[in-house]
Amino acid sequence: MKIYDAQNNDLKTVNSYLKESLNGKPVPLKNAVHLHGLASGLQHGEVLVQGDTGDYLGVLNDGATIHVTHDTGRYLGDNMTGGTIIIEGDAGFGAAQYCYGGTVVIRGSAGDFTATMNKGATIIVCGDVGSEVGTYMLKGDLIVLGNAGKNFANYLIRGSVFIRGQWQSLGNNTRQEPLTPEDLQRLQEYFTTYQIEADPAEFKKIVAASEKPFYH
Amino acid sequence: MSVIGAFCVTVMKDVCLNERMPGKCATCAQVCPHSVYALNMETGEMKVQNYNACVGCRICTEFCPTNAIRINPAEPEHYTRYPWTLGAIEEIHYKALTGEYLLRGFGTHGQTPNFDMITVVPSQIASSAPLDKYREECNMEVVIGEGTCQNPMTLQLPFVWPAMSFGALSKEAKLALAIGAAMTGIATNTGEGGLLPEERWYSHGYWDEAETEHIWEPGGALIVQWSTGRWGVSRDYVNRGDAVEVKIGQGAKPGMGGHLLGAKVTADVSKVRGVPVGSDALSPCRYYDVQTLDDMKHMVAFLRDVTDYRVPILFKLGPSRPYADVAACIEAGADAISIDGMVGGTGCSPDIVTQGVGIPTIACIPPAVQALKDYGVHHKVKLIALGGIRNGLDAFKCLAMGADAVGFGSAAEIALGCRVCYACHKGNCPYGITSQKEEFRARLDPIEGGKRLANFIHATAEEIKILTMLSGHGCTAELSSEDLRAMDLNTAAMTGLKLVGYERVLPIWEMGIRPEAAPSGNGKKHRKQVAAG
Repeated sequence: MKIYDAQNNDLKTVNSYLKESLNGKPVPLKNAVHLHGLASGLQHGEVLVQGDTGDYLGVLNDGATIHVTHDTGRYLGDNMTGGTIIIEGDAGFGAAQYCYGGTVVIRGSAGDFTATMNKGATIIVCGDVGSEVGTYMLKGDLIVLGNAGKNFANYLIRGSVFIRGQWQSLGNNTRQEPLTPEDLQRLQEYFTTYQIEADPAEFKKIVAASEKPFYH
Repeated sequence: MSVIGAFCVTVMKDVCLNERMPGKCATCAQVCPHSVYALNMETGEMKVQNYNACVGCRICTEFCPTNAIRINPAEPEHYTRYPWTLGAIEEIHYKALTGEYLLRGFGTHGQTPNFDMITVVPSQIASSAPLDKYREECNMEVVIGEGTCQNPMTLQLPFVWPAMSFGALSKEAKLALAIGAAMTGIATNTGEGGLLPEERWYSHGYWDEAETEHIWEPGGALIVQWSTGRWGVSRDYVNRGDAVEVKIGQGAKPGMGGHLLGAKVTADVSKVRGVPVGSDALSPCRYYDVQTLDDMKHMVAFLRDVTDYRVPILFKLGPSRPYADVAACIEAGADAISIDGMVGGTGCSPDIVTQGVGIPTIACIPPAVQALKDYGVHHKVKLIALGGIRNGLDAFKCLAMGADAVGFGSAAEIALGCRVCYACHKGNCPYGITSQKEEFRARLDPIEGGKRLANFIHATAEEIKILTMLSGHGCTAELSSEDLRAMDLNTAAMTGLKLVGYERVLPIWEMGIRPEAAPSGNGKKHRKQVAAG
């Protein structure tokens, strides 16, 4: 399989290549770390990125599967509405923000403000996450296998947050709730689908204390 | 000045139907959304139960069958007891009672520097002769994105409806704006509340989704807003616009995100925004996915990419540091920049922010124009002035000061019937403009509203045509600051316009000092680049 070399090419050239090439078969590419906004707004197909990627990978993704073998920069999967993004390494600041749908799996760790304003996506981080993760989440699932920093799930409105490790501090408007059989089943399905070794029973579940937490 | 306690309610008992025949009429109590009036169910008598609750919307006077009600502003007290006016006193009482600060809709009130102390300079013998408004043409077209995208957006008149979201406005008001845009060839803007399906084809002048039945000529354009809350935003959403606007801030509450109180988050609004019904939708004050100017450049780059390089990218700024902010937008790759002065409108904002934060529109335009000139992109990157622009005279002054187009937000709401009661945030707009309640929305017909908006735009365009041609120009793009004079020192100092009588700009402007840079250093960096040539 020929691997497209993105080095020395700009965003327009590489993304145009992807749009033209996604016709049923996975499209591999390499040397894309300088591109911010790689594979933006794709609606179908599969992209395999060898190595690291820059910021805004898969922004506005609406159905494509994007697989990265190493690390990704900031704002991974920004505002995606569908599809799947799998990162084998770490993700930087603000992964999977503003997402309405789709799935993001980060096998390493993720930075601060991951899953901010999640409105319906499933976001799984196998390592640790930074501070302010899950801020103002309105829908969807956030699953963290490692530890979390400060203000975890701050101002949660709706959706479910699951964590196996510890948090430095819980955010405002949160409370712990026991796992239900449906939660355990859902988590097991995620772990099976994405080949993650974890026991759902080890997780703690955090939900919103109120849907109307603001002063005004 | 607080809104509460600002109006005196007077019911003239000699003509009041209820006074003569208790129980026969309760119209005022029925239509008042603020419980100013109360009906005694036993006696049928009507009374004013809460004078301070009146916000001055005057819906009671509109509906009163005998014209028995007068709503008068409590202005004399403003002068005699200032600063301890009834409004100020009631505000303190409210805080003491509830522990909450005040919110306000619509925008700033009271005196702020405005366009009134600027006059238009007509042509006589020393300058090019005036043109004939009645028998000659005046070109007012504005094109945004020429040379940077495949489909530049054309405004047939130099106007836009600024961003006003579904949620803040009713569906009927949003559709009226789209129809008004279609009937005049200007652009409407989704605001940050997502896109109503009909908004797209209505704005283009079509009755149907397939865009086959063109019923509103000449057809307008749709700007989709990309904001910090990203409500209802998707790949599909950004591709439905004729332009994408990146919202940085707004005039009524710069430095804060959008407020939509839970009372206005209905099932329809919830569906579009993804916020639970009844839960406040408070947009972040900044982009969580932008930390540097480079990030903003990348954001513009991917928005161009996702839209296949078809449409222009606009920015909307609140009134902060216009020179540095406009410079940053230019560096980020903007095709047009809207700058919204402090009198700009809002659906809801903390009272103190709307009243006391930001700078007026007339003080925003000169530094913004200077930044565009310093970058060599004045009139290429278009400048759109917003905030408190009421008529063709205000709009003409903006254009002559260097803007390419202007926006009418508050004026558009007034054209739809608004009486400026500053209570948009409560969700009880009796004219159906800023309410989500069925009974109020039923009073606003989108098509009739669209016609009213189109009438307003046509009349305003004629006013601009008059002023442009009497100044000796056949095109609004030819206007310049030479077509204006400041009528007082303050206005001359703020705007850099020549002072009447003095016939020169003030020495502080002749020194060529650039406005202050932003603390972030973006402006400083820019000044070094300019200095280095």
